[in-house]
Amino acid sequence: MNPQLLSLSPNNSSLKSRFTLGFLRALKRLNMQTSSSPSPPQTVSSSSSSSPREMCRRYLRIRIAADASMASAVGSRRAWSRTLLLKIRNRQFRSCNSSARRISMKKKCSGRKMKKKLKCDKEINELRKFVPGGEAMDACSLLDEAAHYIKCLNTQVKVMTRIADIYSAT
Amino acid sequence: MGSHDNDDMGFQHRNEGSLNCPSSGMSTNPLPEKVSRMAMSSISMFKPSNAPDPFFGSGWDPLVSLSQSDNFGGSSVASQSEYTNHPYPVAMETQGMSSTSHLVQYPSDSSFVEMVPKLPCFGSGSFSEMVGSFGLPECAGISNSGCVANYNPNRDGGIDRTSTMGAQSHDDRQISEEGALGSSPNGKRRKRVPESSPNKNAEGELNKDMSGESSDYLKEQDEKKTKQEENAASNLRGKQTGKQAKDNSQSGDAAKDSYIHVRARRGQATNSHSLAERVRREKISERMRLLQELVPGCNKITGKAVMLDEIINYVQSLQQQVEFLSMKLATVNPEVNIDIERILSKDILNSRSGGGAIFGFSPGMNSSHPYPHGIFQGTLPSMPSTAPQFPSLPQTVLDNELQGLFHMGFDSSSNIDNLGQNASRLKPEL
Repeated sequence: MNPQLLSLSPNNSSLKSRFTLGFLRALKRLNMQTSSSPSPPQTVSSSSSSSPREMCRRYLRIRIAADASMASAVGSRRAWSRTLLLKIRNRQFRSCNSSARRISMKKKCSGRKMKKKLKCDKEINELRKFVPGGEAMDACSLLDEAAHYIKCLNTQVKVMTRIADIYSAT
Repeated sequence: MGSHDNDDMGFQHRNEGSLNCPSSGMSTNPLPEKVSRMAMSSISMFKPSNAPDPFFGSGWDPLVSLSQSDNFGGSSVASQSEYTNHPYPVAMETQGMSSTSHLVQYPSDSSFVEMVPKLPCFGSGSFSEMVGSFGLPECAGISNSGCVANYNPNRDGGIDRTSTMGAQSHDDRQISEEGALGSSPNGKRRKRVPESSPNKNAEGELNKDMSGESSDYLKEQDEKKTKQEENAASNLRGKQTGKQAKDNSQSGDAAKDSYIHVRARRGQATNSHSLAERVRREKISERMRLLQELVPGCNKITGKAVMLDEIINYVQSLQQQVEFLSMKLATVNPEVNIDIERILSKDILNSRSGGGAIFGFSPGMNSSHPYPHGIFQGTLPSMPSTAPQFPSLPQTVLDNELQGLFHMGFDSSSNIDNLGQNASRLKPEL
């Protein structure tokens, strides 16, 4: 047991460790939810927990949890993490606020002056779709955010691969 | 490096063209870079050369105090503090410092002797301009008079010195003062433009700078500026005497970390808009270079469009990997065991070898994802291993090796057995 892990503070620990802890906690929470469901785990046919719908729901929750823990690990320093957190919280609340925010973001996007007449404008607009929050950014900061986003995605993939290995290895 | 050779030539040209001293205010601009390098080299030589040069010790004091109060940080500060015996922190900037070796050859150049006498005129002209812009006419007077008067006795001493550094330090004093003055107000007046500021701010800053001292030229540069110098130094000759006030407008972007100083190239428009455009384009290309390093296999790609396509594909593939992995976790992870979390955290954070498993675990990844294989092989060696008890795996990680490491990493606790049994029971549909 590593005592350091139990006392990790957001400032000292690395992005990887923050994400790992957050994601594992989220997974634990999700597992508790599913295990508290009426299907007992000792039978082979745990049909309800492995039904496609249930699995699909679980998959979606895990994906959201992964994104959320990644964005929380990054914090509010980056535009993309802020956007992600906002999206996730809006989804949770499911209030009219979410639509209002989306509209405001779209307005910001259309009101932006098209200053850049680069030859690569098409590709840059393509990239906007993939980087969260990229719609309302200019090309320069978009590339900046994309670089950080790629780095964090890499970390995320590594950690999740490791977790999947550990859980599936027998 | 090529840039330094250009600077050498630029310096020579500067001095040759310095006959029009009063109007050569802008010719100081290429100097600061020189100054920073020379100042570095001259630091060690300043003390011995101080003795025969009382002028510099006394005459520049008001200027020194001015620069002091302006609190600029640059190599020129260090040089000034050295020879005025001022208790000022010696803060050497690192850019261009490595290039001092080329200065050694410099004084052996025969043209150096001709250049030396021109320096005072050059220096005074630029100095007075700079000083004038600070509103210190008395200093300008001092600079004009003292510069010419006391330069000569030192000239011979400077040239006769066999060590090249001594001769350089001579020029350094002149140049570093100008540089110091030049840098001090800039450090104060320029606002730091944040990276995320939109175009407007950059242009506004640019206009402000243009309306301000056009003769100021800041020394804190990064590699970007040296590159610009490379292009600009050769183009400077055509613009030495003319409209230097306009030509040397700078943009308000980053110095070391927040200014980029741009020089308008020959034949290019010099209004603020195009300069700001150029600065933004350079920022973008710098970001593209960073991205190129992040995305594997993009070292040979030249061209923004192709590079951007690669980046988009990479981001897409990473996102799909995350989705795939979360789906996998949804199917294989039904068990909850609190202790497991700690063990897992430790294992995940300590062991850096998890990448290779993706080969065996990604049946869902079709051929449109060339990245996974490239990624993990590429990233495996870059992952530092912090735990001494886990040996770092070689690049080609096979599943059985992973299993071995897995067992090695885990303590032999009953939890694992439970996990194993439950996992095997609960993944029927996988």
